[in-house]
Amino acid sequence: MHRVAIIDGIRTPFCKMGTEFRDLNAQELGRIATRELLERTGVDPRQIDEVIFGNVGQPADAANIARVIALLSGIPKTVPAYTVHRNCASGIEAAVQAAMKIQLGQGDCYIAGGTESMSNIPFYFSKELQDILTHLGRAKTLPQKLQTLIRLRPAYLKPRVGLEMGLTDPVCGLIMGSTAEVLAKEFGITREEQDAFALESHLRALRGQAILREEIVPIIPPPKYKLAIEHDNGPREGQTIEALQKLKPYFDRRSGTVTVGNSSQITDGAAALLITSEQKAKELNLKPLGFIKAYAFAGVEPHRMGIGPAHAIPRVLKKAGMRLKDIQAVEINEAFAAQVLACLKALESPAFEKESRYEGYCGAIDRNILNVNGGAIALGHPVGTTGARLILTMLKHMNRHNLNTGLVSLCVGGGQGAAVVLER
Amino acid sequence: MSLTFRENNNIGFIEFDQEGSKVNLLTTAALQELDKILDTLAGKSSLNAVVIVSKKKDVFIAGADIREIEGITRPEDGARKSRAGQDILNKLEDLNVPTIALIDGVALGGGCELALACQYRLATFNEKVRIGLPEVNLGIFPAFGGTYRLPRLIGLPDGLTMILTGKPVDANKALRLGLVDRLAPQNGLDHHLNTFIADIRQGRVTSDKYARRKPKGLPAFLETSIFGQWLIFRQSVGSVLKNTKGFYPAPLKAIATIKKNFYLDRTRGLDTEARSFGELAVTAVSKNLIHVFYISEQYRKLNVEGIAPKPIKKCGILGAGVMGGGIAQLLSYSNIRVRLKDINYEALALGLRSAAKLYRDAVKKRRMKPYEAVVKMDKITTTLDYSGFANTDIIIEAVVENMEVKRKVFRELSAAVGPRAILATNTSALSVTEIAKETKDPSKVIGLHFFNPVHKMPLVEIITTAQTSQETLATTVAFAKRLGKTPIVVKDSCGFLVNRVLLGYINEAGRLLEEGLPAGRQGHSIVAIDKIMTDFGMPMGPFTLTDEVGLDVGGKVLHILEDGLGERFKAVETFEKVCAQGFLGKKSGKGFYLYKGKRVPNPEILPGHSGLCSDKTESLRRMLYVMINEAARCLEEQIVDAPGAIDVGMIFGAGFPAFRGGLLRYADSVGIPQIVGELGRLRDKFQAKRFEPAAYLLMLRNEKKKFYQ
Repeated sequence: MHRVAIIDGIRTPFCKMGTEFRDLNAQELGRIATRELLERTGVDPRQIDEVIFGNVGQPADAANIARVIALLSGIPKTVPAYTVHRNCASGIEAAVQAAMKIQLGQGDCYIAGGTESMSNIPFYFSKELQDILTHLGRAKTLPQKLQTLIRLRPAYLKPRVGLEMGLTDPVCGLIMGSTAEVLAKEFGITREEQDAFALESHLRALRGQAILREEIVPIIPPPKYKLAIEHDNGPREGQTIEALQKLKPYFDRRSGTVTVGNSSQITDGAAALLITSEQKAKELNLKPLGFIKAYAFAGVEPHRMGIGPAHAIPRVLKKAGMRLKDIQAVEINEAFAAQVLACLKALESPAFEKESRYEGYCGAIDRNILNVNGGAIALGHPVGTTGARLILTMLKHMNRHNLNTGLVSLCVGGGQGAAVVLER
Repeated sequence: MSLTFRENNNIGFIEFDQEGSKVNLLTTAALQELDKILDTLAGKSSLNAVVIVSKKKDVFIAGADIREIEGITRPEDGARKSRAGQDILNKLEDLNVPTIALIDGVALGGGCELALACQYRLATFNEKVRIGLPEVNLGIFPAFGGTYRLPRLIGLPDGLTMILTGKPVDANKALRLGLVDRLAPQNGLDHHLNTFIADIRQGRVTSDKYARRKPKGLPAFLETSIFGQWLIFRQSVGSVLKNTKGFYPAPLKAIATIKKNFYLDRTRGLDTEARSFGELAVTAVSKNLIHVFYISEQYRKLNVEGIAPKPIKKCGILGAGVMGGGIAQLLSYSNIRVRLKDINYEALALGLRSAAKLYRDAVKKRRMKPYEAVVKMDKITTTLDYSGFANTDIIIEAVVENMEVKRKVFRELSAAVGPRAILATNTSALSVTEIAKETKDPSKVIGLHFFNPVHKMPLVEIITTAQTSQETLATTVAFAKRLGKTPIVVKDSCGFLVNRVLLGYINEAGRLLEEGLPAGRQGHSIVAIDKIMTDFGMPMGPFTLTDEVGLDVGGKVLHILEDGLGERFKAVETFEKVCAQGFLGKKSGKGFYLYKGKRVPNPEILPGHSGLCSDKTESLRRMLYVMINEAARCLEEQIVDAPGAIDVGMIFGAGFPAFRGGLLRYADSVGIPQIVGELGRLRDKFQAKRFEPAAYLLMLRNEKKKFYQ
């Protein structure tokens, strides 16, 4: 099998929903990241075999958004492209798709990434209103039209919020935050632990702002083209534990512990990676940031979706033939503080290790090597993008500190975990 | 023979195939051949149809032979020529078999009129299809029945628009207008033609001779009522006057002619057309416009012989100011990827903003679909460093006009780009040779001088140094043409061409102001001087122009010119003073005029009282002859190779009125001895060396020559 190299990557700043990037749709964000990747690496677009993008809120005006991004970015029309959707792991899925194709010898040069504009996830008509409008379109005579219109009730005009629907599990009926509440209760994770974790995320992200510039392309957003956005706007200056503690639990008002302060932010952003075979990198005289060593996905109960990483991590380590102690840096996506903490507790638990038959592949993760530059609680979580962002952030971190191994993992709505081992 | 007739399956084909030419022209000879064929056809009423086709690729008939029009010197000759064509086309129109023009390419002028005389028109989906009546651009109007038939066929408003603007339409628009009856794919055209003929024979295609489109509602009322028509004519006159300021007689005469012949029968209607045409064809304006057509075609199609230009896919631009931003927009509009670099994000934002505004306006005016604007705007990316420059094909530098800055930038560039990249500077006056010294390969350095506003001004000056390679020149010329610009090639020298000629004129206007030209009814000398030039036909007066460009910019160029060419370019004191007061022109809200609310002359600028010049005619001559004199020096110094380059440059780069035929054509029309004499008189009167006639002018006078032989 060919060894899979990640040459370089770039991402847009991450901006909270409805802020600076509200007029940039997902295809534009993806285009900016992809084009900048081409410009900075100088790779000839004709070398690219395929473009793969992860995206969750697939916009109606950009069917197969990867293809739209590829064409807008100036990748030749002869280069195919497709979009993948594994919910929160879509960005990782795109990179893994590229890796698998390279390993199989299907191609040797890919652009993989993720894009998400949560500002632009639409509101929907109610089913009743949709029916009425469809009928109205078919009605030929005025009486027929009136007959249809007479069925209209004020309640039908209430829109359904696409974002909320997307974040609600259709099988267990829980919104994502509630799945975090399930884990908090199951693992006995306190509000204090969660808030402390959230605060740490903000502090680390603020400290890391200069470092993260390395992976960010500044954007002068339309329609005003006024200011350049150079940083993520999620991290809050002057965030205090007191302020976090004041927040009311959002998902379980009475007995809950998950607040908007200790959950990830809803955010716009895109990331793109140039992935080649090791051989191709040599041919093109490109120096890789690192290599993909192994990847793994795991399924868990939908109402406990946040525990996904605790299952994906031992599996990917096994595939990589490594132990947790061999890993020098870890990124676990901070969908919710409760969920990350639950994963850490599970991995430390001998009972969990035994029950799940992960003997030898579990253990404690040192908080000093975990999410060192902050995570989604501070930076935000543009769902389709985060997977690609984690790989990029990890590789840049490994290069900065001359580390040889890194582990990236996230939980996935619907009850999955994803993990990738990176090496240099 | 350029026409042949053949019959196939009971369908007659009249084939146009002009010998030794890439296009078909409707020459007198061709018309006579057509006449003969039509005579033989009169007895063949058994044919299913007669089809007129061209055997040239992408061309039906490109128009009449302009040389024949140019040669008309007496109105009677013009009217006769018109009648001769009309009679033949009438014969075609009166055939009693269905006639079809099969349009698979350009059908302009006479070609369009020939198609109009057919009963049916079938065009193809070929994207080269262009149908129209561009005659007004040559100072005439269609005179083979075009003014009679077109408004009847597609309705008065659209008919007038097509004739008055001269803008051709593509196949889709032609179908919408009712100008063609159907579009057919090029592939399998025979089959589609046969189907079309079968449909005609079975009455499935409207056969109304005129009025293919049936308007409804208000437009119908306007088009069919006498009052509505009167209104349409009135509005047309208004908009023509607004656009041409009355300097161009052809569109006005076209309206007057249509206003008459719209209500006449064919014989009398066509007679009106022929007579008016005869009168127009002999006007000086028409001859001048034909001259401009020749020279602009010559430069629009410029190429460097024997050298294939290299393809350009990606361009780097340095400096996102007014020019850099404008160039970025132009390039992205032409589907070229742009990497725009400046030293801070505020500057880049400004560049993006100006590009986005142009696209937004285009969408608003429905000249572009929203998605097209996105796709094009997406072609521009921004950067603060030289990332992405290594694989560019050309760099256009548009940083501040300062030699030290340019030197530094070219040093950096030379290291940042690949070996094939052309390094172009958009400097308006600095020495390209000096700039090139900073690079590893001066053969790749060239000047590419755009004019502001970039998207509107059709001219670029391409400046070559002694080191610029032919390949660099060929590629840059092709590049300029691809951007839709008309290039002129100018040797590197102080001020190049257009600015050098223009700035002398601006400076002379400044002197007139200092001398205190009486304001008369204009109320202020500034307005009076501007009016002299707008009355001459310039789109704006010298002070308005200076305000548009910016006084600081103009002043800077004057200083460069003074350093390089001597004291005749020494900026008049008024300019220095006004500039020092911070009146920089439109951009600062104040210049020679104030730009808050209604535009009024700046009361803080006072004209002088020397009383030296009180005469408008003399003032006009001073401003014009200074330009002519400078242009003569440019020819003398061989900065450009032909007077045509100067006229193209001044018309498309400085707005010199096209109906005057260009600066040097105008000089020819005045007469070289008169100009030399007047310059001598002015030199003596003002004791000013700037009026000393150039050696080139003296040479022309002594040898009894003109700029154009």
